[in-house]
Amino acid sequence: MAGQVVNQFAQATLYGLLQGGLLALVAVGFSLVWGVLNVVNLAHGAFVLGGAYVAFELNSWLGLDPFLGMVPAALVLFGIGYVLQRYLVNLVVNAPIFITLLLTFGLQLLAVNGMSLLFTANYRSIPTGYAATPLPLPGDVRVPVGRLLAALLAVAITIGLGYVMRRTRTGLSILATGMDRGAARLMGIKAAHVYALTFGIAAGLAGAAGAAVGAVSTFSPADAGRFTLFSFVAAVLGGLGTMSGALYGGLLLGLAEAWGGQLLPGTLINALAFGVLVVVLAVRPQGLAGKAFYAARVEV
Amino acid sequence: MRTTLRWAGVLAALLVGLGLQTQLYAGQERTAGTVLMFVALAVAWNLIGGFAGYACFGQVGFFGLGGYAAAVLIIHLNLSFWLALPLAGLIAGVFAAVVGAPLLRLKGHYFAVATLGVAEGLRELVTNLPRLTGGGAGITIPTVGKEAPTPWLGNDGFYILFLLLAVGAVAVGLLVSVSRAGYALRAIHQDEDAAAAVGVNTTVAKTVTFAVSAALTGAVGAAYAFQQITIFPERLFDVDITVLMVVMVVLGGSGTVIGPVLGAVSVAFISEWLRQNYPQVHTFLLGGLIIAAVVMLPQGFTSYLADAVRTRRFSLLDNVRRYRL
Repeated sequence: MAGQVVNQFAQATLYGLLQGGLLALVAVGFSLVWGVLNVVNLAHGAFVLGGAYVAFELNSWLGLDPFLGMVPAALVLFGIGYVLQRYLVNLVVNAPIFITLLLTFGLQLLAVNGMSLLFTANYRSIPTGYAATPLPLPGDVRVPVGRLLAALLAVAITIGLGYVMRRTRTGLSILATGMDRGAARLMGIKAAHVYALTFGIAAGLAGAAGAAVGAVSTFSPADAGRFTLFSFVAAVLGGLGTMSGALYGGLLLGLAEAWGGQLLPGTLINALAFGVLVVVLAVRPQGLAGKAFYAARVEV
Repeated sequence: MRTTLRWAGVLAALLVGLGLQTQLYAGQERTAGTVLMFVALAVAWNLIGGFAGYACFGQVGFFGLGGYAAAVLIIHLNLSFWLALPLAGLIAGVFAAVVGAPLLRLKGHYFAVATLGVAEGLRELVTNLPRLTGGGAGITIPTVGKEAPTPWLGNDGFYILFLLLAVGAVAVGLLVSVSRAGYALRAIHQDEDAAAAVGVNTTVAKTVTFAVSAALTGAVGAAYAFQQITIFPERLFDVDITVLMVVMVVLGGSGTVIGPVLGAVSVAFISEWLRQNYPQVHTFLLGGLIIAAVVMLPQGFTSYLADAVRTRRFSLLDNVRRYRL
């Protein structure tokens, strides 16, 4: 009896961590855009689904494996994100916040309905031969191979992004522009290009996450709002604009959902998650982990 | 003198609204009622979002809270709708004051996201209290027979109810705009520290405005719930309602009295027209329209017109240049 409870707990914890790893990749781009551009991108969830549909189409035409499909999904979404930021969002980037929120909401309406028209509103999933195969672990805990692969890839990409941001010229120019746009421009950084690049990277990572989501679960255009909200919660919990913050926030959210699903009736855990979100914002707006990126921001 | 004229305008709008009713048939009356509902909502959002400049992205939380409060009061306490409506407004207002006290210390996006979190949390809470609220399956307000404390009002009744709510909201907006409180809120919008330095009690001003805005929204939510008879959390806490309010205020002209009214009427009519003529792609077109409007009229129609007439520059491209990188 006690062993069963322990097993159930171990199973839920592992599932939560795997789901959390995937959520970290979903959220990291959202957090990056908020931190660097000061834009809350309500269309972020639509980018995730865009990636899922790219991988889905490549799979049904060419039989491409969805985990390999993460690469083309990321490239396509990077292109879309770059163009959107360069020629549209850059037009209002200095406007009051309602304007950018409304613009990205308009984008999400366009994207979600566009995808419904193109791909229908049906739930889809990308079939693979192995993703649902359970990998038995000691103590009767089981993990589907696909979930493990998705979480490992997601966490690796998230950590890799953090490395790229700190170690490459491009990454440093993005961080510098986020900290002080005026000074960055004086150093010869083209802000319009860097903003577009940041938005493109965020969209590309969301696209890669979408391909992985498609491999391990079902998706439909109506899920866009849910992914945007996940990103919100993960980004806020972890601290905005930091790559590691999205990782902590995603893992925490995944764990909370898995444990809450075991302990609380219905979807009460969601109410709790939003409650925690509001409390964290009110008392620790820099996130649970460390100091926020925006603390260094100079408004121009 | 100007203020008197504006009050006369509010009265005239009420009379025109009443006169218009005799000219409409049932379907049109329902649409017009919905437009009036959005006028009331946009004006209510404008108090906190427009005058004070606090981008509340969880306004639909107060709408849903008011709707569910009214439904619960009518069903479980057997109250009359006419008692439940003001109580629903009061509940929403008090709730806003309580959550506003900590949240109004946040600025910009943080306030927007926190209020969004409050609204989503309320929706989840309502979904997970099935005994009280019917949960996700919805709840039905009794409107006919002996069990109904108040019979359904009919198309005429709801038109007049929404008209009164809209005119009442505009009257509150006008009252705020011309009063000392209105100047305090505009000062907070421009520079909160400076406002505090010249003696505005910013905490009280923001919290009271937030509560009044929420109370109006809650009362409108109660009227909407009673009109719908059966209500669902997904519909009453639909984030699209918040976004519509914001779109209406921003496009009409935030921080003015007439702006939200113009914005609400035009956006609600365009949305309804698209829905009837292009049912398949109506949301798609609406999204495109929001994007175009936000890029070309970021300061709102009324401010654009005032500036354009004064400087004799009517090009919309000047607007695009204003905020671009």
